[in-house]
Amino acid sequence: MTVKRIAFVQELLKFMGLEGRLHLEWISSAEAQKYVDVVTKFTEKIRNMGPNPLRAINEMKKAG
Amino acid sequence: MDCEFVPSVCSYCGTGCGVLFEVIDGRINRTLPLKSHPVNQGKLCIKGWNLHEYINSYMRLKGPLVRENGRLEKATWDEAVNQAARRFTRIKEEHGPDSIGVLVSAKITNEENYLAQKFTRAVIGTNNVDHCARL
Amino acid sequence: MDMVKAAKELLLQDKVDIFLGYRKLDGHQIPHGFTKAHVDDLDQLEISLNRYPLEKIACDLAQKDPALKIGILARDCSQRALNLLYTWDQLNPENIETLTVNCCPSPLSTHGDCSYLTPKPTGDYKKAHGVDYNDSPKDFLANHDSGERLSRWMYEFQKCIKCYGCRNVCPVCFCKECSLEHPNLVEPGVLPAEVPIFHLIRATHMAGRCIDCGLCEDACPAHIPLRMLYREVNDAVSDIFGYVPGDHIEKSPFSIIGKTVELTPAPMDV
Ligand code: SF4
Ligand code: SF4
Ligand code: SF4
Ligand code: SF4
Repeated sequence: MTVKRIAFVQELLKFMGLEGRLHLEWISSAEAQKYVDVVTKFTEKIRNMGPNPLRAINEMKKAG
Repeated sequence: MDCEFVPSVCSYCGTGCGVLFEVIDGRINRTLPLKSHPVNQGKLCIKGWNLHEYINSYMRLKGPLVRENGRLEKATWDEAVNQAARRFTRIKEEHGPDSIGVLVSAKITNEENYLAQKFTRAVIGTNNVDHCARL
Repeated sequence: MDMVKAAKELLLQDKVDIFLGYRKLDGHQIPHGFTKAHVDDLDQLEISLNRYPLEKIACDLAQKDPALKIGILARDCSQRALNLLYTWDQLNPENIETLTVNCCPSPLSTHGDCSYLTPKPTGDYKKAHGVDYNDSPKDFLANHDSGERLSRWMYEFQKCIKCYGCRNVCPVCFCKECSLEHPNLVEPGVLPAEVPIFHLIRATHMAGRCIDCGLCEDACPAHIPLRMLYREVNDAVSDIFGYVPGDHIEKSPFSIIGKTVELTPAPMDV
Protein backbone atom coordinates (compact mmCIF):
# COMPACT_ATOMS: atom_id res chain seq x y z
CA MET A 1 0.00 0.00 0.00
CA THR A 2 2.73 2.44 0.98
CA VAL A 3 4.65 2.02 -2.23
CA LYS A 4 1.48 2.63 -4.25
CA ARG A 5 0.67 5.79 -2.41
CA ILE A 6 4.20 7.15 -2.45
CA ALA A 7 4.57 6.41 -6.16
CA PHE A 8 1.39 8.37 -6.76
CA VAL A 9 2.21 11.30 -4.48
CA GLN A 10 5.65 11.59 -6.11
CA GLU A 11 3.90 12.02 -9.46
CA LEU A 12 1.51 14.61 -8.04
CA LEU A 13 4.30 16.62 -6.45
CA LYS A 14 6.22 16.56 -9.69
CA PHE A 15 3.21 17.96 -11.49
CA MET A 16 3.04 20.79 -8.95
CA GLY A 17 6.73 21.50 -9.39
CA LEU A 18 7.80 20.07 -6.02
CA GLU A 19 9.61 16.95 -7.18
CA GLY A 20 12.45 15.23 -5.39
CA ARG A 21 11.36 16.01 -1.86
CA LEU A 22 9.74 12.69 -1.09
CA HIS A 23 11.57 9.39 -0.99
CA LEU A 24 10.71 5.84 0.02
CA GLU A 25 13.23 3.14 0.91
CA TRP A 26 12.75 -0.28 2.52
CA ILE A 27 15.22 -0.67 5.41
CA SER A 28 15.11 -3.56 7.85
CA SER A 29 16.00 -3.12 11.51
CA ALA A 30 19.19 -5.12 10.83
CA GLU A 31 20.43 -2.71 8.18
CA ALA A 32 21.87 0.03 10.35
CA GLN A 33 24.46 1.05 7.80
CA LYS A 34 21.91 1.33 5.00
CA TYR A 35 19.75 3.52 7.24
CA VAL A 36 22.65 5.87 7.91
CA ASP A 37 23.57 6.01 4.23
CA VAL A 38 20.06 6.71 3.00
CA VAL A 39 19.33 9.37 5.59
CA THR A 40 22.67 11.09 4.97
CA LYS A 41 22.22 11.01 1.22
CA PHE A 42 18.68 12.32 1.42
CA THR A 43 19.57 15.06 3.90
CA GLU A 44 22.35 16.21 1.62
CA LYS A 45 20.09 16.16 -1.37
CA ILE A 46 17.43 18.26 0.36
CA ARG A 47 20.02 20.67 1.69
CA ASN A 48 21.32 21.19 -1.84
CA MET A 49 17.80 21.79 -3.12
CA GLY A 50 17.35 24.59 -0.60
CA PRO A 51 14.31 25.44 1.51
CA ASN A 52 10.79 24.47 0.47
CA PRO A 53 9.57 27.19 -1.92
CA LEU A 54 6.08 26.94 -0.42
CA ARG A 55 7.41 28.29 2.82
CA ALA A 56 8.50 31.52 1.19
CA ILE A 57 5.14 31.83 -0.53
CA ASN A 58 3.24 31.28 2.70
CA GLU A 59 5.40 33.76 4.64
CA MET A 60 4.79 36.32 1.91
CA LYS A 61 1.08 35.70 2.27
CA LYS A 62 1.20 36.09 6.05
CA ALA A 63 3.11 39.33 5.69
CA GLY A 64 0.25 40.47 3.46
CA MET B 1 -40.74 9.03 -2.11
CA ASP B 2 -40.98 12.46 -3.69
CA CYS B 3 -38.00 14.41 -4.91
CA GLU B 4 -38.38 17.77 -6.54
CA PHE B 5 -36.21 20.78 -7.18
CA VAL B 6 -37.21 24.32 -6.39
CA PRO B 7 -35.34 27.28 -7.84
CA SER B 8 -34.90 30.15 -5.43
CA VAL B 9 -32.61 33.03 -4.55
CA CYS B 10 -29.96 32.90 -1.85
CA SER B 11 -30.97 35.09 1.04
CA TYR B 12 -27.56 35.44 2.66
CA CYS B 13 -26.26 38.53 0.90
CA GLY B 14 -27.11 41.24 -1.58
CA THR B 15 -25.61 39.36 -4.53
CA GLY B 16 -28.69 37.22 -4.85
CA CYS B 17 -27.32 34.04 -6.37
CA GLY B 18 -29.73 31.56 -7.89
CA VAL B 19 -30.01 28.34 -5.91
CA LEU B 20 -31.82 25.09 -6.39
CA PHE B 21 -33.26 23.29 -3.39
CA GLU B 22 -33.38 19.52 -3.43
CA VAL B 23 -36.65 18.76 -1.65
CA ILE B 24 -37.16 15.15 -0.55
CA ASP B 25 -40.59 14.40 0.87
CA GLY B 26 -41.23 18.05 1.59
CA ARG B 27 -37.97 18.66 3.38
CA ILE B 28 -35.06 20.61 1.94
CA ASN B 29 -32.11 18.25 1.88
CA ARG B 30 -29.43 19.92 -0.21
CA THR B 31 -28.68 23.20 -1.97
CA LEU B 32 -27.23 23.29 -5.46
CA PRO B 33 -26.26 26.30 -7.55
CA LEU B 34 -28.74 27.15 -10.28
CA LYS B 35 -26.65 26.75 -13.40
CA SER B 36 -28.81 28.86 -15.68
CA HIS B 37 -29.00 31.82 -13.30
CA PRO B 38 -27.44 34.93 -14.82
CA VAL B 39 -26.01 36.22 -11.55
CA ASN B 40 -23.94 33.29 -10.31
CA GLN B 41 -23.78 31.03 -13.39
CA GLY B 42 -23.70 27.82 -11.44
CA LYS B 43 -21.40 28.94 -8.64
CA LEU B 44 -22.05 29.69 -4.98
CA CYS B 45 -20.08 30.80 -1.96
CA ILE B 46 -19.92 28.71 1.18
CA LYS B 47 -23.01 30.38 2.63
CA GLY B 48 -25.14 29.64 -0.38
CA TRP B 49 -24.03 25.99 -0.45
CA ASN B 50 -25.28 25.59 3.12
CA LEU B 51 -28.57 27.45 2.82
CA HIS B 52 -30.64 24.39 3.70
CA GLU B 53 -29.01 24.18 7.10
CA TYR B 54 -30.63 27.21 8.62
CA ILE B 55 -33.98 26.36 7.13
CA ASN B 56 -33.93 23.04 8.94
CA SER B 57 -32.18 24.30 12.06
CA TYR B 58 -33.93 23.51 15.33
CA MET B 59 -32.75 26.89 16.59
CA ARG B 60 -34.80 28.67 13.99
CA LEU B 61 -37.24 31.27 15.28
CA LYS B 62 -40.73 30.26 14.22
CA GLY B 63 -42.82 32.82 16.12
CA PRO B 64 -42.47 35.99 18.18
CA LEU B 65 -40.78 35.77 21.58
CA VAL B 66 -40.76 38.46 24.23
CA ARG B 67 -38.12 38.66 26.93
CA GLU B 68 -39.70 38.86 30.34
CA ASN B 69 -37.63 38.82 33.49
CA GLY B 70 -34.64 37.66 31.45
CA ARG B 71 -36.44 34.77 29.82
CA LEU B 72 -37.79 34.51 26.31
CA GLU B 73 -41.49 33.68 26.37
CA LYS B 74 -43.78 32.86 23.48
CA ALA B 75 -46.06 35.75 22.59
CA THR B 76 -48.56 36.79 19.96
CA TRP B 77 -47.55 39.21 17.24
CA ASP B 78 -49.73 41.96 18.80
CA GLU B 79 -48.10 41.55 22.18
CA ALA B 80 -44.62 41.53 20.68
CA VAL B 81 -45.16 44.55 18.44
CA ASN B 82 -46.82 46.57 21.22
CA GLN B 83 -44.04 45.72 23.62
CA ALA B 84 -41.40 46.79 21.11
CA ALA B 85 -43.26 50.01 20.33
CA ARG B 86 -43.62 50.86 24.04
CA ARG B 87 -39.94 50.34 24.74
CA PHE B 88 -38.73 52.20 21.65
CA THR B 89 -40.93 55.16 22.61
CA ARG B 90 -39.49 55.15 26.09
CA ILE B 91 -35.88 54.98 24.87
CA LYS B 92 -36.57 57.80 22.42
CA GLU B 93 -38.15 59.97 25.13
CA GLU B 94 -35.44 59.33 27.67
CA HIS B 95 -32.32 59.36 25.47
CA GLY B 96 -33.31 61.01 22.20
CA PRO B 97 -33.84 59.44 18.76
CA ASP B 98 -30.10 59.18 18.01
CA SER B 99 -29.78 56.57 20.74
CA ILE B 100 -31.48 54.16 18.34
CA GLY B 101 -29.94 52.64 15.23
CA VAL B 102 -31.42 50.31 12.65
CA LEU B 103 -29.53 47.66 10.70
CA VAL B 104 -31.39 46.16 7.79
CA SER B 105 -30.68 43.00 5.95
CA ALA B 106 -30.22 41.50 2.53
CA LYS B 107 -32.61 38.77 3.56
CA ILE B 108 -35.59 41.07 3.09
CA THR B 109 -36.84 42.66 -0.11
CA ASN B 110 -35.98 46.07 -1.52
CA GLU B 111 -39.39 47.37 -0.57
CA GLU B 112 -39.04 46.19 2.99
CA ASN B 113 -35.63 47.80 3.17
CA TYR B 114 -37.14 51.03 1.89
CA LEU B 115 -39.82 50.84 4.57
CA ALA B 116 -37.23 50.20 7.24
CA GLN B 117 -35.25 53.33 6.38
CA LYS B 118 -38.46 55.36 6.16
CA PHE B 119 -39.43 54.06 9.57
CA THR B 120 -36.02 54.96 10.96
CA ARG B 121 -35.96 58.46 9.54
CA ALA B 122 -39.61 59.49 9.73
CA VAL B 123 -40.90 57.61 12.76
CA ILE B 124 -37.89 57.23 15.01
CA GLY B 125 -36.28 60.40 13.71
CA THR B 126 -32.64 59.41 13.26
CA ASN B 127 -30.31 58.89 10.33
CA ASN B 128 -28.76 55.88 12.04
CA VAL B 129 -29.71 53.32 9.42
CA ASP B 130 -27.39 50.96 7.62
CA HIS B 131 -27.45 47.81 5.54
CA CYS B 132 -25.33 44.68 5.49
CA ALA B 133 -24.70 45.01 1.76
CA ARG B 134 -22.51 48.02 2.59
CA LEU B 135 -20.11 45.91 4.61
CA MET C 1 -39.86 11.12 -27.98
CA ASP C 2 -38.78 7.54 -27.24
CA MET C 3 -37.11 8.66 -24.08
CA VAL C 4 -40.43 9.75 -22.58
CA LYS C 5 -42.06 6.47 -23.52
CA ALA C 6 -39.23 4.44 -22.05
CA ALA C 7 -39.28 6.43 -18.81
CA LYS C 8 -43.06 6.11 -18.55
CA GLU C 9 -42.77 2.36 -18.99
CA LEU C 10 -40.19 2.11 -16.23
CA LEU C 11 -42.56 3.86 -13.84
CA LEU C 12 -45.81 2.22 -14.96
CA GLN C 13 -44.36 -1.29 -14.84
CA ASP C 14 -43.00 -0.56 -11.35
CA LYS C 15 -39.44 -1.16 -12.48
CA VAL C 16 -38.52 2.06 -10.71
CA ASP C 17 -40.18 4.09 -7.95
CA ILE C 18 -38.76 7.39 -9.08
CA PHE C 19 -37.13 8.60 -12.29
CA LEU C 20 -34.49 11.31 -12.14
CA GLY C 21 -34.40 13.51 -15.21
CA TYR C 22 -34.74 17.16 -16.11
CA ARG C 23 -37.66 19.46 -16.79
CA LYS C 24 -38.15 23.13 -17.43
CA LEU C 25 -39.42 25.24 -14.54
CA ASP C 26 -39.66 29.05 -14.65
CA GLY C 27 -37.43 29.00 -17.71
CA HIS C 28 -34.68 26.97 -16.03
CA GLN C 29 -33.77 23.44 -16.99
CA ILE C 30 -33.54 21.72 -13.63
CA PRO C 31 -33.55 18.17 -12.30
CA HIS C 32 -36.80 16.54 -11.27
CA GLY C 33 -37.85 13.26 -9.69
CA PHE C 34 -40.74 11.90 -11.77
CA THR C 35 -43.11 9.45 -10.05
CA LYS C 36 -45.87 7.08 -11.07
CA ALA C 37 -48.50 9.27 -9.40
CA HIS C 38 -47.70 12.08 -11.82
CA VAL C 39 -46.52 10.03 -14.73
CA ASP C 40 -47.80 12.52 -17.30
CA ASP C 41 -45.28 15.06 -16.03
CA LEU C 42 -42.81 13.01 -18.04
CA ASP C 43 -44.11 14.69 -21.18
CA GLN C 44 -41.99 17.63 -20.03
CA LEU C 45 -38.87 15.47 -19.71
CA GLU C 46 -35.82 17.24 -21.05
CA ILE C 47 -32.23 16.19 -21.52
CA SER C 48 -31.05 19.65 -20.44
CA LEU C 49 -27.86 21.32 -21.48
CA ASN C 50 -27.08 22.07 -17.85
CA ARG C 51 -25.80 19.05 -16.06
CA TYR C 52 -26.46 18.45 -12.39
CA PRO C 53 -25.07 15.55 -10.33
CA LEU C 54 -28.10 13.25 -10.70
CA GLU C 55 -26.04 10.38 -9.28
CA LYS C 56 -25.47 12.36 -6.11
CA ILE C 57 -29.20 12.97 -5.86
CA ALA C 58 -29.74 9.23 -6.32
CA CYS C 59 -27.36 8.64 -3.38
CA ASP C 60 -29.37 11.10 -1.26
CA LEU C 61 -32.54 9.16 -2.07
CA ALA C 62 -30.91 5.78 -1.47
CA GLN C 63 -29.70 6.97 1.90
CA LYS C 64 -33.25 7.75 2.96
CA ASP C 65 -34.62 4.51 1.57
CA PRO C 66 -32.04 1.86 0.60
CA ALA C 67 -34.68 -0.27 -1.13
CA LEU C 68 -35.87 2.53 -3.41
CA LYS C 69 -35.63 1.69 -7.08
CA ILE C 70 -34.29 4.65 -9.00
CA GLY C 71 -34.28 5.39 -12.70
CA ILE C 72 -31.75 7.84 -14.03
CA LEU C 73 -31.30 9.72 -17.24
CA ALA C 74 -27.68 8.89 -17.83
CA ARG C 75 -25.05 10.62 -19.91
CA ASP C 76 -21.63 9.07 -20.37
CA CYS C 77 -20.30 10.79 -17.27
CA SER C 78 -23.33 9.59 -15.27
CA GLN C 79 -22.55 6.02 -16.31
CA ARG C 80 -18.98 6.38 -15.10
CA ALA C 81 -20.15 7.96 -11.86
CA LEU C 82 -22.66 5.15 -11.30
CA ASN C 83 -19.99 2.48 -11.89
CA LEU C 84 -17.81 4.16 -9.35
CA LEU C 85 -20.62 4.49 -6.81
CA TYR C 86 -21.44 0.79 -7.25
CA THR C 87 -17.78 -0.04 -6.69
CA TRP C 88 -17.77 1.93 -3.45
CA ASP C 89 -21.09 0.44 -2.28
CA GLN C 90 -22.85 3.78 -2.31
CA LEU C 91 -25.54 2.55 -4.66
CA ASN C 92 -26.84 -0.93 -5.35
CA PRO C 93 -26.74 -1.65 -9.09
CA GLU C 94 -29.82 -3.84 -8.69
CA ASN C 95 -31.83 -0.79 -7.69
CA ILE C 96 -30.72 1.44 -10.52
CA GLU C 97 -32.11 1.59 -14.03
CA THR C 98 -30.53 3.90 -16.55
CA LEU C 99 -31.84 5.43 -19.74
CA THR C 100 -28.81 6.48 -21.71
CA VAL C 101 -28.81 9.65 -23.73
CA ASN C 102 -26.79 10.68 -26.69
CA CYS C 103 -23.94 12.47 -25.03
CA CYS C 104 -20.32 12.93 -25.97
CA PRO C 105 -19.84 12.67 -29.73
CA SER C 106 -17.99 9.64 -31.05
CA PRO C 107 -17.44 8.11 -34.46
CA LEU C 108 -20.87 6.50 -33.98
CA SER C 109 -22.75 9.63 -33.00
CA THR C 110 -21.81 13.09 -34.11
CA HIS C 111 -24.45 14.86 -32.08
CA GLY C 112 -24.27 15.27 -28.31
CA ASP C 113 -26.37 16.99 -25.66
CA CYS C 114 -23.87 18.38 -23.23
CA SER C 115 -22.69 21.78 -22.13
CA TYR C 116 -19.17 20.39 -22.17
CA LEU C 117 -18.86 20.09 -25.90
CA THR C 118 -17.63 23.65 -26.31
CA PRO C 119 -14.25 24.02 -24.63
CA LYS C 120 -13.94 26.64 -21.90
CA PRO C 121 -12.20 29.80 -23.06
CA THR C 122 -8.99 30.64 -21.19
CA GLY C 123 -8.15 34.34 -20.88
CA ASP C 124 -4.77 35.82 -21.80
CA TYR C 125 -3.73 36.52 -18.23
CA LYS C 126 -4.54 32.97 -17.21
CA LYS C 127 -2.59 31.69 -20.19
CA ALA C 128 0.44 33.74 -19.18
CA HIS C 129 0.38 33.16 -15.42
CA GLY C 130 -2.00 30.35 -14.62
CA VAL C 131 -3.07 27.02 -16.03
CA ASP C 132 -5.01 26.65 -19.26
CA TYR C 133 -8.30 24.76 -18.81
CA ASN C 134 -7.73 22.90 -22.04
CA ASP C 135 -4.04 22.06 -21.69
CA SER C 136 -3.25 18.38 -21.48
CA PRO C 137 -1.40 17.44 -18.29
CA LYS C 138 1.40 15.86 -20.32
CA ASP C 139 1.97 19.04 -22.36
CA PHE C 140 1.85 21.13 -19.21
CA LEU C 141 4.55 18.96 -17.68
CA ALA C 142 6.67 19.05 -20.82
CA ASN C 143 6.38 22.78 -21.49
CA HIS C 144 7.08 24.23 -18.05
CA ASP C 145 10.00 23.71 -15.68
CA SER C 146 9.33 22.85 -12.06
CA GLY C 147 9.54 26.43 -10.73
CA GLU C 148 7.06 27.58 -13.32
CA ARG C 149 4.72 24.67 -12.65
CA LEU C 150 4.69 25.60 -8.99
CA SER C 151 4.11 29.28 -9.57
CA ARG C 152 1.34 28.64 -12.08
CA TRP C 153 -0.52 26.28 -9.76
CA MET C 154 -0.01 28.56 -6.80
CA TYR C 155 -1.47 31.42 -8.83
CA GLU C 156 -4.55 29.29 -9.39
CA PHE C 157 -4.87 27.89 -5.87
CA GLN C 158 -4.49 31.24 -4.16
CA LYS C 159 -7.74 32.37 -5.71
CA CYS C 160 -9.69 29.69 -3.84
CA ILE C 161 -12.49 31.13 -1.69
CA LYS C 162 -12.96 27.82 0.12
CA CYS C 163 -16.59 27.48 -0.88
CA TYR C 164 -16.28 23.67 -0.85
CA GLY C 165 -18.29 23.76 -4.07
CA CYS C 166 -15.91 21.37 -5.81
CA ARG C 167 -16.57 18.79 -3.13
CA ASN C 168 -20.27 19.54 -2.72
CA VAL C 169 -21.10 19.11 -6.38
CA CYS C 170 -18.85 16.12 -7.05
CA PRO C 171 -20.81 12.92 -7.64
CA VAL C 172 -18.02 10.80 -6.16
CA CYS C 173 -17.37 12.84 -3.00
CA PHE C 174 -19.64 11.00 -0.64
CA CYS C 175 -17.64 10.72 2.61
CA LYS C 176 -19.56 11.18 5.85
CA GLU C 177 -16.58 12.92 7.36
CA CYS C 178 -14.55 14.89 4.87
CA SER C 179 -10.82 15.44 5.32
CA LEU C 180 -11.26 18.96 4.00
CA GLU C 181 -13.13 19.74 7.22
CA HIS C 182 -10.63 18.07 9.48
CA PRO C 183 -9.12 20.82 11.68
CA ASN C 184 -5.69 19.15 11.71
CA LEU C 185 -5.47 19.20 7.93
CA VAL C 186 -7.35 22.33 6.94
CA GLU C 187 -7.69 25.02 9.55
CA PRO C 188 -11.35 25.94 9.89
CA GLY C 189 -12.53 29.50 9.39
CA VAL C 190 -9.31 30.68 7.78
CA LEU C 191 -9.17 32.52 4.48
CA PRO C 192 -7.49 32.49 2.05
CA ALA C 193 -7.57 28.71 2.03
CA GLU C 194 -4.32 27.06 3.01
CA VAL C 195 -2.65 26.39 -0.29
CA PRO C 196 -1.71 24.09 -1.78
CA ILE C 197 -2.69 21.62 0.96
CA PHE C 198 -6.45 22.06 0.51
CA HIS C 199 -6.21 21.26 -3.18
CA LEU C 200 -3.62 18.54 -2.84
CA ILE C 201 -5.79 16.69 -0.32
CA ARG C 202 -8.67 16.76 -2.72
CA ALA C 203 -6.44 15.85 -5.67
CA THR C 204 -5.11 12.86 -3.75
CA HIS C 205 -8.64 11.69 -2.93
CA MET C 206 -9.64 11.99 -6.55
CA ALA C 207 -6.91 9.54 -7.55
CA GLY C 208 -8.71 6.39 -8.64
CA ARG C 209 -12.02 8.11 -8.03
CA CYS C 210 -12.59 11.15 -10.26
CA ILE C 211 -14.65 10.19 -13.29
CA ASP C 212 -13.81 13.38 -15.18
CA CYS C 213 -17.28 14.90 -15.35
CA GLY C 214 -16.01 18.43 -14.91
CA LEU C 215 -18.80 19.54 -12.58
CA CYS C 216 -16.26 20.76 -10.00
CA GLU C 217 -14.59 23.05 -12.50
CA ASP C 218 -18.00 24.40 -13.52
CA ALA C 219 -18.85 25.13 -9.91
CA CYS C 220 -15.58 26.80 -8.99
CA PRO C 221 -16.13 30.53 -8.53
CA ALA C 222 -12.36 31.08 -8.67
CA HIS C 223 -12.01 29.49 -12.12
CA ILE C 224 -9.39 27.02 -10.94
CA PRO C 225 -8.82 24.35 -13.63
CA LEU C 226 -9.72 21.51 -11.28
CA ARG C 227 -10.71 19.09 -14.00
CA MET C 228 -7.28 19.40 -15.57
CA LEU C 229 -5.64 18.77 -12.18
CA TYR C 230 -7.67 15.64 -11.54
CA ARG C 231 -6.98 14.51 -15.10
CA GLU C 232 -3.29 14.56 -14.34
CA VAL C 233 -3.92 12.71 -11.11
CA ASN C 234 -5.75 9.99 -12.97
CA ASP C 235 -3.21 9.89 -15.78
CA ALA C 236 -0.75 8.95 -13.04
CA VAL C 237 -3.14 6.30 -11.71
CA SER C 238 -3.64 4.81 -15.13
CA ASP C 239 0.10 4.94 -15.96
CA ILE C 240 1.15 3.32 -12.69
CA PHE C 241 -1.76 0.96 -12.04
CA GLY C 242 -3.60 0.68 -15.34
CA TYR C 243 -6.79 1.69 -13.58
CA VAL C 244 -9.42 4.04 -15.02
CA PRO C 245 -12.09 5.06 -12.50
CA GLY C 246 -15.66 4.41 -13.56
CA ASP C 247 -14.63 2.39 -16.58
CA HIS C 248 -16.24 -0.67 -15.12
CA ILE C 249 -17.04 -2.06 -11.68
CA GLU C 250 -13.58 -2.64 -10.29
CA LYS C 251 -12.01 -1.56 -7.01
CA SER C 252 -9.46 1.23 -6.95
CA PRO C 253 -5.82 0.13 -6.48
CA PHE C 254 -5.73 2.33 -3.37
CA SER C 255 -8.51 0.39 -1.69
CA ILE C 256 -7.01 -3.07 -2.27
CA ILE C 257 -4.39 -4.24 0.16
CA GLY C 258 -1.71 -6.29 -1.51
CA LYS C 259 -0.26 -6.25 -4.96
CA THR C 260 -2.24 -5.16 -7.95
CA VAL C 261 0.94 -4.26 -9.78
CA GLU C 262 4.60 -4.85 -9.03
CA LEU C 263 6.13 -1.62 -7.79
CA THR C 264 9.52 -0.92 -6.31
CA PRO C 265 10.42 2.34 -4.61
CA ALA C 266 11.94 4.77 -7.08
CA PRO C 267 15.70 5.30 -6.61
CA MET C 268 16.82 8.63 -5.20
CA ASP C 269 18.16 10.83 -7.95
CA VAL C 270 20.66 13.29 -6.57
S1 SF4 D 1 -24.29 32.30 -2.49
FE1 SF4 D 1 -22.93 33.68 -1.36
S2 SF4 D 1 -22.48 35.36 -2.79
FE2 SF4 D 1 -24.31 34.28 -3.55
S3 SF4 D 1 -26.07 35.38 -2.64
FE3 SF4 D 1 -25.59 33.69 -1.29
S4 SF4 D 1 -24.22 34.57 0.25
FE4 SF4 D 1 -24.23 35.99 -1.49
S1 SF4 E 1 -14.43 16.02 -12.52
FE1 SF4 E 1 -14.67 17.01 -10.52
S2 SF4 E 1 -16.83 16.75 -9.97
FE2 SF4 E 1 -16.36 15.28 -11.60
S3 SF4 E 1 -15.79 13.40 -10.54
FE3 SF4 E 1 -13.91 14.52 -10.95
S4 SF4 E 1 -13.56 15.69 -9.10
FE4 SF4 E 1 -15.68 15.05 -9.03
S1 SF4 F 1 -12.66 15.57 -0.55
FE1 SF4 F 1 -11.95 13.54 0.05
S2 SF4 F 1 -12.71 13.23 2.14
FE2 SF4 F 1 -13.86 14.94 1.23
S3 SF4 F 1 -15.72 13.97 0.40
FE3 SF4 F 1 -14.21 14.10 -1.26
S4 SF4 F 1 -13.13 12.15 -1.22
FE4 SF4 F 1 -14.21 12.35 0.73
S1 SF4 G 1 -14.77 25.20 -5.87
FE1 SF4 G 1 -12.92 26.38 -6.28
S2 SF4 G 1 -13.01 28.11 -4.86
FE2 SF4 G 1 -14.47 26.59 -4.12
S3 SF4 G 1 -13.30 25.37 -2.63
FE3 SF4 G 1 -13.16 24.32 -4.59
S4 SF4 G 1 -11.25 25.09 -5.50
FE4 SF4 G 1 -11.82 26.51 -3.86
